Amino acid sequence: MATDAATAASAAVRGRARRQREEELLVWPDLVFIEFISALVFTLMFTLLSIAINSPLQDRANPANTPNPSKAPWYFLNLQELLLHMNPALAGVIVPTVALIAIGAIPFYDNSNEGQGEWVSTPGGGRLVKLGAWVGSIGSLILILWDAAKHVQVYQMIFGAGSWPTSLNWFKSARDFQGWLDTSAYSPIPDGLRRIPLGDYLLRTDLLGLTEEPIDLTVNVPGLIVEQIIPVTLMVGLPILLSIVAWRIGWAKTRRDHMILQFSGFLAVYFTLTIIGTAFRGRGMELYWPWDNPPVIT
Amino acid sequence: MATSERPEARGLGDRIYDIVFHNVLWQAIFRSGYPNTPRNQMLAIATNVFLHLHPTRIHRTHVKITHTFCLGGLSFFLFIGLTITGVLLMFYYVPSVERAYQDIQNIQTNVRFGFLMRNMHRWMAHGMVLMVLLHMMRVFYTGAYKPPREFNWIVGVVLLVLTLMLSFTGYLLPWDELSLWAITVGTNMVGSAPILGPPQQFVLIGGFEVGPAALVRFYTLHVIGFPLLAATFMTVHFWRIRRDGGLARPL
Repeated sequence: MATDAATAASAAVRGRARRQREEELLVWPDLVFIEFISALVFTLMFTLLSIAINSPLQDRANPANTPNPSKAPWYFLNLQELLLHMNPALAGVIVPTVALIAIGAIPFYDNSNEGQGEWVSTPGGGRLVKLGAWVGSIGSLILILWDAAKHVQVYQMIFGAGSWPTSLNWFKSARDFQGWLDTSAYSPIPDGLRRIPLGDYLLRTDLLGLTEEPIDLTVNVPGLIVEQIIPVTLMVGLPILLSIVAWRIGWAKTRRDHMILQFSGFLAVYFTLTIIGTAFRGRGMELYWPWDNPPVIT
Repeated sequence: MATSERPEARGLGDRIYDIVFHNVLWQAIFRSGYPNTPRNQMLAIATNVFLHLHPTRIHRTHVKITHTFCLGGLSFFLFIGLTITGVLLMFYYVPSVERAYQDIQNIQTNVRFGFLMRNMHRWMAHGMVLMVLLHMMRVFYTGAYKPPREFNWIVGVVLLVLTLMLSFTGYLLPWDELSLWAITVGTNMVGSAPILGPPQQFVLIGGFEVGPAALVRFYTLHVIGFPLLAATFMTVHFWRIRRDGGLARPL
């Protein structure tokens, strides 16, 4: 009924804090002035920057000549970095898509309207930012260094070249683990799992005329484990673990707390991957210090 | 002191002020007088198509620089700067494999102020990606995504993607080694998508590898497709800021 709506509206209006005129400023000149000055400063800054530094222009493109390394623009180097460690579909498409959807969903999870309009509004929010940032950056750094077998190098620096025990070869890097799963006599994967079980009897698509040739029934289980199952477990499991720990030690109490922690962790991982991919990946996408990065081969 | 019946003589400043702000042309364009009274200051915002994006009054805390660091405004400013420098670059650039590289060289060396336009376009593009990311961080850490601003947060995420796409499509246009291989690496990622990957990649670059068709597609998307889309989403974004009650502030 209209009267109900009117009563409700007036109640809402009555409940609202009275606008305090003395707390308000006129947009002209107070805001327009700031906008004008910042536009001016930034125009000047970009003009000076553009006079000082020329944008890069290399040789004309030659499709026959692949430079080593070939890199995407810097803001995609985080994905290219992921690409080195896992399945391309996962790194290049699924992870960014899921990340964007998750970011878009933040306000629907953290759906209370409290704590808006101030920086890191919850008590103890600051230390959650730091926790997320440290765990995200150090964690991704450790994983990258492990996958580059840097721990093996450290071990051999201490105990001499070739001292890494062969029984631990599976612990060198993700690829070594995959190779070990694939070929080692100690591999826990039973031979029966290398083809889809009973597939020869159940998946007879050739009988239905769906495909000319029967479907390839071999399954690369080691590849599946190393390229997909382990990365997904880490990317989903570690953030959840972080949230659980922060909740158990009493640091994260509200949904906002958890979002601050997760988003900070995400940003730390994002920036770590971007920086590693931009400055620390050289020839063959191997890790190099920026100062002894070999020149790009074209 | 003897009082005079004569009105006080008006100074030179007043007369110039009258000539500039009280003439027929000024009043035809701006309607209200010079914004030196609260009424005229509000009218200056409310009656101007460009400025009426703003409310006429805002809360005191919103002009504090550390509240927003102007990041959203600066992203928009960079978008405008990129449009202006981009239009000027379009005068000299032809998106064909034969000419593209040469045109960029010409812009960089022969065209008067061409180097400035190209450099500004490039640095502003990097700046815009950075600015949009920082803006997103600001909005997150100030809790400005919370109800009733959920939808505007999503629009913002879409704008982030569009900014990346704008920058990425522009990356190919110089047709040098850097651009060709960066786009090859980038579009190969699209091609690795499950199920629809390879067809998507084919549509995106118009073939099996980055070539003349890809250049035309990226150019078209860069100069008209994505800018229109981004402008549309920006319209929604700005409109919703006003509809959702301006900048977020403590309840």
